[in-house]
Amino acid sequence: MRGNALQLGNVVKQTVLLLASFLALVPTIYMVVTALKSDEEYAIDKLGPPDAPVLDNFYAVLVESPFLHWMLNSTILVAGSVILSTTISVLGAYAIATMRFRGRDTLLAVSTSLMAVPPVVMIVPLFVLYTRLGMVSTYFGAILIYAGLITPFSVYLLVTFFRTVPRELYEAAHIDGAGQFTILMKVVLPLSLPALVTLVVVNSLYVWNDLLIAIIFLQDDAKRTLMAGISVFSGRYNNQVPLTMAGMVIASAPMFMLYVLFQKQFIRGLMSGAIK
Amino acid sequence: MTKSAYPMLTRRNLMLTSAMLAGGAALGGISKGATAQAKDMDMWYWGEQELPGLQKYVNDSVAKYNAATVKPMLQDTAVVISQFQTAAAAGNAPDVQYLWNGIYHMESVWLGYIRGLKSLIKPDVLAASNPTLLSHFGGDVYRTGWYPLPMFWCYNKTLFEKAGLDPEAPPKTWDELLVACDKLKSSGVEALGGGIQDGYWSEWYITHSLPQQLDSFSEAVELFIGDRDFREPKYHEHWVKLEELKKKGFLNKDMSSLELYPGIDLVVAGKLGIGQSIGTRLPADSKATGGKIGYMTMPVFGKGKLAATPVVDVQGLGISKDAEDPAVAAAFLEFLQSPDQLKAFWEATSWLPSNTSFDPSVIQDPSVRGLWQNWGLKPNISNVTNLVPGQFYERAAIPTGQQIVAGSMTGEQAGELAANTAKEWKEFNPDMVENYRKWAKDLSSPT
Amino acid sequence: MTPSSRLTPYLYVLPLAALLGFVFGYPLLKIFEFSFKMVRGIDGPWIGMRNYQLVLGQSLFWEAVLHNLQLLLAIPVMVAISLIVSVLLSERVVGWKLYRIIVFVPFVLAIPIVAVVMKRMFQFSGPVNELLRWMSLDFMALDWIGSSDVALWTVMILIIWRESALGIILFLARLLSLDESVIEAAKIDGAGWWHRLWHIILPEMRGVIEFYVVVSVITMLAAVFSYIYIMGGGRGGPGTSTEVVELYIFNALIRSSLPGIASAASVLLFLVTGLLIFLLFKVRQRAEAA
Repeated sequence: MRGNALQLGNVVKQTVLLLASFLALVPTIYMVVTALKSDEEYAIDKLGPPDAPVLDNFYAVLVESPFLHWMLNSTILVAGSVILSTTISVLGAYAIATMRFRGRDTLLAVSTSLMAVPPVVMIVPLFVLYTRLGMVSTYFGAILIYAGLITPFSVYLLVTFFRTVPRELYEAAHIDGAGQFTILMKVVLPLSLPALVTLVVVNSLYVWNDLLIAIIFLQDDAKRTLMAGISVFSGRYNNQVPLTMAGMVIASAPMFMLYVLFQKQFIRGLMSGAIK
Repeated sequence: MTKSAYPMLTRRNLMLTSAMLAGGAALGGISKGATAQAKDMDMWYWGEQELPGLQKYVNDSVAKYNAATVKPMLQDTAVVISQFQTAAAAGNAPDVQYLWNGIYHMESVWLGYIRGLKSLIKPDVLAASNPTLLSHFGGDVYRTGWYPLPMFWCYNKTLFEKAGLDPEAPPKTWDELLVACDKLKSSGVEALGGGIQDGYWSEWYITHSLPQQLDSFSEAVELFIGDRDFREPKYHEHWVKLEELKKKGFLNKDMSSLELYPGIDLVVAGKLGIGQSIGTRLPADSKATGGKIGYMTMPVFGKGKLAATPVVDVQGLGISKDAEDPAVAAAFLEFLQSPDQLKAFWEATSWLPSNTSFDPSVIQDPSVRGLWQNWGLKPNISNVTNLVPGQFYERAAIPTGQQIVAGSMTGEQAGELAANTAKEWKEFNPDMVENYRKWAKDLSSPT
Repeated sequence: MTPSSRLTPYLYVLPLAALLGFVFGYPLLKIFEFSFKMVRGIDGPWIGMRNYQLVLGQSLFWEAVLHNLQLLLAIPVMVAISLIVSVLLSERVVGWKLYRIIVFVPFVLAIPIVAVVMKRMFQFSGPVNELLRWMSLDFMALDWIGSSDVALWTVMILIIWRESALGIILFLARLLSLDESVIEAAKIDGAGWWHRLWHIILPEMRGVIEFYVVVSVITMLAAVFSYIYIMGGGRGGPGTSTEVVELYIFNALIRSSLPGIASAASVLLFLVTGLLIFLLFKVRQRAEAA
């Protein structure tokens, strides 16, 4: 009796999870399947698998559209802002976690609370300032803003992590005559590798996926990022659905591949990223 | 100083910035080295989005031009104006700026961001380029025309034939239109419409229908700033007419979720009888259907002097107040109007440049040639929605059509919304009202 | 402590303070200043509360606010979905590791991408409606994208779809860290699945659920720009049925060139989210104390 109830329970659970998985994957499946169809085939058959899969759409996207150029722009921004922010955050968090100075707790409190301020609130003054300084549509200008937006979270994570490094390690290094900077580089950072990797993953995803800052601060066509480009691309070719879907497949490929390779870090990172 | 992080930080930033600077300098050096005493000019423009081939034309022209080094930049649609205006406010505007017609650049004129061209460009060149009436203000002209945008109602001749309608004699009055739609519907085809999801169809509808009740564009200006009332029946009659089309079931069912260009594709593909289209599409559409795309002015229901007048809008270029050497900029604009450039434009974009001296005999397609002869070379009016303040555009011009088509608004309510929006605009922008009133005086002639 | 080392901490945090000051401090001060001015371009005359009068008197603004509030309705659904799925996963049923990987995919894809895909799927003559019609559920084949009554709900579906994935992972993390022995003891005592869920598991999860709710509320009010921009065709359409406060600010700045108005709206949004941030802190304080 109990066994049957258990089995029924299991069936129900599996069904629910299967349903959830199906719903989670449906758009991706549709995206890939449609990208393989020709325009004519899609017009007739919107749902089924492609009878005669074609790769033309992918070719069109990769070779004839600026997708790769947009991805390059996004990469530049990600690299620039993550490097800048990580550097600044490591230094700041190290000081907050290991040194005593006036204003330390206030700085940490302010920085942490900034995590929840929505970026849209910042855009008006920054846009006006950038226009005055001629910084609109510059990589540096956008990198600065992105770096600023991802730093509060980075500081929070690093401070939490640095604080878990045992005091004895610090003391031992001190006794050996190491200065604070050396300790940071030779002792603390190597230990913090998991946290740093998480940080890089989460922050890269944030900058890569952003749309608002990209549209406003990188208005020059040559500097367009992938996400801004997607809204342009889907508008220009909105009647060619398979082509649009091919574009979406290519656009999601980098992050998708990273996810498959590094799920653990992704998930762990996004879990702590949820605190954003 | 202790071995702090500073060296590391500044080194990194320095590397990044110097890399970019070096790259920029290298590029700048190459182009500068080519011409010894060349002047430098910035040109911000738009248009590749609606006229593929334009970007290549611009890049080629700039490379050919020896009297100055022009640095072109293609702008994103959403920011063409705001980017220019904010730069101008900071004193950083480009020498040459692409300017959509009407208020899109007139506002910049009022803010002092654009120079008058009468003293900079030869008068015959300026006139031939047809900057249109809407570029006139206070006795000066503020743009040279670059390329025209004839706007018309399109229809599929094959579908007309199938429905028993004369493909060479499209409906001229509103009643004739209703009859034609009925026949199309009976022949098994959706009669009229397109795609309104992105809003532009709504704008174009106003372009064609509002002037029907007006005697001049100054009336339109007064409507948009609230000096005249949209609630008066004759001023929202056109929305009532749209409602009529909806109620009679003449509009295509997926109109609300389709975008503008896919909507026009329906007409080209033979799935929709009548739609709204634009000149730059005609060459390709005509070719795709073997010349079976027809064009007409919107069938008439209105009693204004402007009814049944073809609509031709013109995109233009202007010179900003921040131009270091306006004469150099003017010379470049004149260069673009030279016969060789006009020909190069045609070849690069398969579309006509805006210049009355352009020889239409190079146009092979009879439909396109006919359109230009009947639209561009005869009396025409501009796109009336170019007079509309940005707020009105977003808040009334676009949503009215969309909501009527979705069945959630009546023609009268559209008039109500328009009137309220005009009032709202006045409250948000009191400093602009006098300018509009002055402009209305410049626009009081019919064409 | 030597004098140089007293200065050292400040050197370490100087870049941090400078960056945060520039990206957060300067704008947060400026939006207040601009909100009291009639800004054309880069500055303008002082006009007191006029911008606030105009913003608060404009029906479009309140429509935007209403839509943001409407999006809050998504949260209970998100919580329910996340709870159910995460609890099931935590029981480590057969294949749970694979399910976990799959169920998180929505969050890996960028919002613009999923929005473009969803927009195509939900077109009036698109695959979703085709399927519904094929199943004879014609009445459900609505104009998901084009109807001003339905459009916002469609966006909400997309938001729920994507944000639930986050909830699942969050909740799962908490569940996996729970003390197994308590649950085992309850099982032995004969407690059923629902009973275990309701009386043992949920109370333990209160902290993380509250946290998720507050974060989601802030999201619905101030972080849905990407969803709306793509699904609504860049203008909160059809009509103004998907207009939200972020888009209102964006339009005021970029399309209407009225930075003063945009700033006033930004101030209002900031004050509201500021209040919520405060609440968030209180919630986390309580969770930490628990």
